[in-house]
Amino acid sequence: MLDLEEKLSLTTRNTDEVVTPKEIREILETETKPRAYWGFECSG
Amino acid sequence: MHLGTGLVCGSKIKDMVKAGFEFIIFLADWHSWINNKLGGDLEKIRFCGEYFKHCFTSLGVPREDVSYVWASDIVKDVDYWRTVIQIGKQASIQRVRRTLPIMGRGIESESLDVEAAALFYPCMQAADIFHMKVDVACAGIDQRKAHMLARDSAEKLGWRKPACVHTHLLIGLTGPSDRIEGKFDENPDVDGEIGSKMSKSIPRSCIFIHDAPKDIESKILSAYCSPKQVEANPILELAKYTVLPELGHLNIDRAEKHGGPISYPSYLKLEEAYRRGEIHPLDLKKGVAEALTGVLSSVREYFSKHSDVLDEMMKIDVTR
Repeated sequence: MLDLEEKLSLTTRNTDEVVTPKEIREILETETKPRAYWGFECSG
Repeated sequence: MHLGTGLVCGSKIKDMVKAGFEFIIFLADWHSWINNKLGGDLEKIRFCGEYFKHCFTSLGVPREDVSYVWASDIVKDVDYWRTVIQIGKQASIQRVRRTLPIMGRGIESESLDVEAAALFYPCMQAADIFHMKVDVACAGIDQRKAHMLARDSAEKLGWRKPACVHTHLLIGLTGPSDRIEGKFDENPDVDGEIGSKMSKSIPRSCIFIHDAPKDIESKILSAYCSPKQVEANPILELAKYTVLPELGHLNIDRAEKHGGPISYPSYLKLEEAYRRGEIHPLDLKKGVAEALTGVLSSVREYFSKHSDVLDEMMKIDVTR
């Protein structure tokens, strides 16, 4: 099991922008099953 | 699928799965239709979506670690359209038009010839987030306007704002001077990044995840890569975003007279060395080409066993 700092680091590394790191931290702290998504247009 | 989608997004998805997120990969088929992808042909669009599932699997994002949801699944739900309208009632036409860069259109699309359906798209993208109860919305930075619309709508409607993770858009291999026409963001850095990204419409700016090793090498060898220049350097970007996150190091095979082979354990060290002129552009290119070819070997292996999918996809997607 990773700790909070490791999870936060994985989530935010190599990114251009995080809105906001504080909110991500709160989500990781309070949600047992935090949900994330990535949408893709299906074009080749 | 090009490197940006495959490796930059793929790496971040893997990161977040590892960090414990329940991850949804959303195949926005209806949005693709609105945005005229693949001629607006939903059948081709759906095949492409299936191809994307194969791509992510081949990149080390196993199907059991993520959920795939299609837009055509959620559009069946009346509550989804209620959300779309609620969002559409909180923003002016003017505001929604200014988010059109998320669809690859310029911010100054003053022309009223833009299809009316284009205005549904940003409201749908924001609604997707709330409908699927997403805590963190991830995308390339060219999508940030959709996420800001979602956040603003949440504030007005009393919903929880989604947090956002925005990844870098890889610069095209031909360098910063090859730009897509148009203005895409008020922020000049973001605008520059969007304008010079890897794009299928600019030949040789793109590497595809299933490119043969010789093609990867030849594209990289002919890429823009100015000595000591660390800003807007396509090869350094490949090292930073596609090689180092996967391998944890980059090997450069320098001739003995230039210091011999060396391994960089971090992007910072690599960048510093390049800025000081300790690495010749050709050596950097060779090192990155070799490393990237290695990173993508799982993709080539996967598609050698699923060549029918790749063949069909090549037929469907005749590059512009």
